[in-house]
This record gives sequence, C-alpha cells and structure tokens, in this order.
Amino acid sequence: MEDVLTENPPPSRFFQEDLNNFASPPPEPPLPSPFILFSSPKPELPLKPSLLIIALSSPSLHIFHSCLPSKTLIGTLIIPELPFSGNTVEPSLQDKSCNIYSLSDNNNENSVLLISVQLPVSPERSNLVSRLLIGQDIVPERVIILDSIQSRNFRGRLSPDEALAAKLETSSEKKAAATSRMNLDYFPSGSVIDGLSASLLSRCQLKNIRGTLVVSWPEFDPSVVRFVGGLLKSIVPGLDNKSVGKDLEMYSSRSGLKKDAWLDSDLYT
Amino acid sequence: MEFVVEEGKRVDEECSTLILPALSIGNVGQLAVDLLVSSTGADRVGYLDDPYLLPCVGNDAYGPLPCGEISLPLEVYESPSTATTLAQQRSPVAKGMMIKFAENIADFAASSGKKHVIVLSSLDFQRLHHNLDMSRGPQVYYLSNAEANGRDEHCERLGFGRLNEYDSEGRCWKYLCSVFDENCKEELTFPSEDELEDIDYYPSLPFAALFSAFKARGLKVTCLLCYCSEGDNIPDAFLLTRRSRRRFHSFLVLV
Repeated sequence: MEDVLTENPPPSRFFQEDLNNFASPPPEPPLPSPFILFSSPKPELPLKPSLLIIALSSPSLHIFHSCLPSKTLIGTLIIPELPFSGNTVEPSLQDKSCNIYSLSDNNNENSVLLISVQLPVSPERSNLVSRLLIGQDIVPERVIILDSIQSRNFRGRLSPDEALAAKLETSSEKKAAATSRMNLDYFPSGSVIDGLSASLLSRCQLKNIRGTLVVSWPEFDPSVVRFVGGLLKSIVPGLDNKSVGKDLEMYSSRSGLKKDAWLDSDLYT
Repeated sequence: MEFVVEEGKRVDEECSTLILPALSIGNVGQLAVDLLVSSTGADRVGYLDDPYLLPCVGNDAYGPLPCGEISLPLEVYESPSTATTLAQQRSPVAKGMMIKFAENIADFAASSGKKHVIVLSSLDFQRLHHNLDMSRGPQVYYLSNAEANGRDEHCERLGFGRLNEYDSEGRCWKYLCSVFDENCKEELTFPSEDELEDIDYYPSLPFAALFSAFKARGLKVTCLLCYCSEGDNIPDAFLLTRRSRRRFHSFLVLV
C-alpha cells in the first residue's frame, strides 16, 4: 500500500505552491506573445480549411514527415522564448518547430491543413498557442488532434507492451454522423489530459467546432505508428501508406526507447 | 474571463446563488461541488474561459459509464429547483496568478447578477494550533462578509463555527483587500514567500483570495470550511455538501 505521506500525490492533489495566493508571479516584463509567420505571398486570412490535423505525438509526427510528400509549408508558429538553434533550413523531424502545412487540392474546396508541433509548449502558454491555431487566423470546420496518453494523468496501469488508443470529442463532433467520426473507445472517466492538446480541444468546444482528440499509448511503438497511419488513411489525401512502415526500428520498444532528437537537451544543439 | 453558453442552453437569471470550490487540501471543495451537481440534478449551461487556468480535458465526470461528454477546466451548472448556479473547477491556476483569477471570477459573478456566493474549501488539519471541539461531531467553519469581523448571524444559528483565525487587520488580509478594492488608497507591499508566517496561512489560501475579491465587488460571500488531512476525503466532501445545502436553502428562505 502506498504511503500517503511520502509518495508523490496522485494527479488530482496539489502542491503547496498551487494553493498559495502569494506565490511569485511570472517575472516582469511578461514574455512576448507567440505569433504565426506565414510564407510569402501571405494567404488570405483567416484560413478556413475543411480539416485541421494537429500532430503532437511522436508517431503522428513521424507519419506527417514520412508519408506526406505532397504537403506545402505555408507558415510557422513562433514561440519567442524557444530558441531555433539546431534547426535546419528544410523542415525536418529533428527540428524544434511548429510548422503549418497545406494539403489543398487544386480547387481548394476540401483544403486540409496540418500542424506539426515539434516543440514543448508549457501549460501556461498553451492557452495563447491554442487561440492562435484555432479561431483566429485559422478557422477550421473540423479538427483532429493526435497526442499520446500521459501516464501521470492516467488512473490505471499502462503496460509498455500493450498499445491502446482512445478519443475525446466535442459536443458538435458527437452530434455528427457516426460514419464520419473516429471509431474508437472514449477516454476513460477519472483520467485527464492536460497541456496543449487539452487546450486545443477546449478551444474547439468553446467555438462549437467539430473536434476530436485521439490519444495513444505507448509513446514510441511501431504498432502505434501503424495504428495512427490507419486512422488517417481515410481522411488525409495523399497519405503514402507504404511509407508508414518505414524506419520503424526507431520506435521499437524491445530494443530500447529511442526518442526523437528534438526531445534532446539544448546543450547538444 | 469569458462565459460561453453551451449550444442550445439558456441561462436562468433566477439562479442567483453561486456555489464554487476553492482549490484546497484534499480537493474537498471540488468533491463537494461534484456531489452538489449530482444530487441537485444540475444541468451544465456553459463554460468559463480564463487565461490563467491551466488546460485539461476529460470524459464525463458524473455518469456511471464514460459516455464521451467532454469536461472542461471550469464549467457552469444550474439547478433551477434550488435557484443555484454551480461552478466546478477541475484544474489549477497558473502559479502566481490566483489573485488575477479571483478578480476575473468575481467580475463574472457581479456581471451575471449573482446575489450570494458560497465558497467551499478545506483547511489543513496540521496547521491547526488549538484543539477542535469534536463533541458535536465534525465541525464546519465559516467566514462571511455580513459583519466586519467575519461573523454572520445566520451561520451562527445554523451551528457553524466562526473562523476565529480571520483577522481583517492582519497584514495579508489587508493586502488582499487592497489588491481588489479600487478605492483603497493604502499602498501595501506584496508579502514575499520568505516572509510568510503561520498566521499568514489562512489568507494565503485560494478561498481567501476569492472571499476578498467577491467582497470587493459588493457581493455577499460566505466561505464554508472544514479541516482535513490528505487521504480519503470523500467523507469531508459529504460533510461540506450537507452543510452548504442547509446554508443556501436557508438563504433562499430569507430571499
């Protein structure tokens, strides 16, 4: 039995600083706000894609980079406090970046935007970032967010050998035709998702936008990459299914976890 | 802070008593609000979107099976049968921003016509420096702005214990007052974390910021508090829930 005095509190408990009105506020002057830099020529704003897909998890980022050769870089989100050192000129999976791509077809009627979130966004900055990505310069009809389950927020055991996936939806997504929705079990009650993906889905709910957050586990596993590929196959035009299985040894849980380079310390850029 | 009404819902202006939790040890205030939402059959009518609240989402918190009804960090429920509005907070406030958050939620309460605010919170049993009188069972304490010393005749008649540790002239209580009161001419310095003493424990808690903010906006505010330790805090939540229902039902009788 866990010792309630010495063990770290479970996710729903608070640390002392969370309950202190006089905890030091953020330093002055405040951080500059994040912003989106669009490629030239600047597109007509706001962009109104029929579908916006936001990749935060490692498997989804791998698929974006490996399996979608026809995507066009149209913009990037800049978070001023995060350095660019180590980034390459051409977009790369190893960059610390948040790039926006278009998969528009020629007549732009069924435009799809992809956002590849390859940098850490703190919970305190998540609200600002999610407002930028949804509801201001980008007003999508539907949003799919791909993230990993956070074990610290999950009530229950997560086995490293057992892949699983679940979803949360906005109310307007729930009302949509069943055939157009993701066929996944709901994320269990009692567990929560926090951070940027939570902020993005909340923004969809507040703006009454169809939104789905898909979370998968484990974070680095070939089966999860294949699963995400299968999920996106029917909704993303131009997804190269044959490439989904490429370079999957970097996700092999049996040979030891190999994290993507963009998770490495800044000391080694 | 923006109040977003849920699609297809309408706000009932008769629900003029607002009940909300303050973040506190054991999450007792939040558990109590969950119990109130469930027991009153309150219906979710909207969300409060605040930049200082950390994000979180989850599945439905009330049904026996996960039905996929999304939950957001700060939700507003209404119970027309008890004329109450309940705000449930599910995630922490960003560090150092509690005072701003309290100001925002007080603005919401004032602008939406609330007449009485009840804040539910717990206090750390280990911070208690005197023996509790347990002869009548677990006790609920209160703090009210009905009188300058925190006393409320109605709460006294209901058998709640007054929070004797409240000192309106204490430096941290005065500081909170000065922060929220636009008319306060006294310039008081922000107490640093290193300067805080035991006596500053109570005004350092979120319920104190909420109390001071609602008070500054001219709203009647009552804090209901119980002492507890970290552990299984469901019984503490039941205690607070039962007593808070007595309080707001009796308030309705007065109105």
